[in-house]
Amino acid sequence: MLFFRSEEKVREWCNVHGYPMRPLVRIDQLWTLATTWYSTRLQENSRRPQPEEMRMIFAGLGLEGEFWDPQSDSFD
Amino acid sequence: MPLDHEAYKPKEQTKEFDIQVKLAIYKHFAETGQGPTPTEVAWRVNANVEEVLGVYKRLRIQRLLVLEDDGSTIRMASPFSGVPTQHVVTVDGIHYFANCAWDALGVIAALHKPGTVHSRCLQSGEPLHLKVGLDGPELSDWVFHCLVPAAKWWDDIVFT
Repeated sequence: MLFFRSEEKVREWCNVHGYPMRPLVRIDQLWTLATTWYSTRLQENSRRPQPEEMRMIFAGLGLEGEFWDPQSDSFD
Repeated sequence: MPLDHEAYKPKEQTKEFDIQVKLAIYKHFAETGQGPTPTEVAWRVNANVEEVLGVYKRLRIQRLLVLEDDGSTIRMASPFSGVPTQHVVTVDGIHYFANCAWDALGVIAALHKPGTVHSRCLQSGEPLHLKVGLDGPELSDWVFHCLVPAAKWWDDIVFT
């Protein structure tokens, strides 16, 4: 889970290492993920999102499909 | 037959103690930027180290902690990292290591304080210095790329 300067740099990195290029996430989308996961982390009632919640959070950001499905078996 | 004291402990008491230990770990990270030793956690919760290490095992199963092979050194208490990484977050003059790009923003989200994320482009090495306020990061056209599908994140969370 890494930062890249641009889509072009992601493509270069994937080509160099033979990795598939995955859907990109904008910084503002990443902030939403960070706050959703961690804004209560230092509090007593914090909990990790469960799979169905994760799907809804991702879908709300337009991150859909097998790649973002925490229970997908497409990558076994 | 001797009593298994851990199993004998009332469930709610165990759950409450687990929460105390979890909060003590996070509080230590928040205050110092460093991961606590079991002794430091034990001091914070007024317990002994063996009790704390017992909680570590349960928190690991709950995917709230990633431990080194010694079972007592905290590698990850997301969003915080117990080891140096390329993602450094500065808040109120304290430097925090984050496990990944997501967690770098997560440190600021968890602390509820403005800060700056220092990282780099993995391909070009170009440095990133991203200011993040309480309402989120400044405008940026950098991107985040996750190689591992969501269903596989915990197969090897350190690689993810």
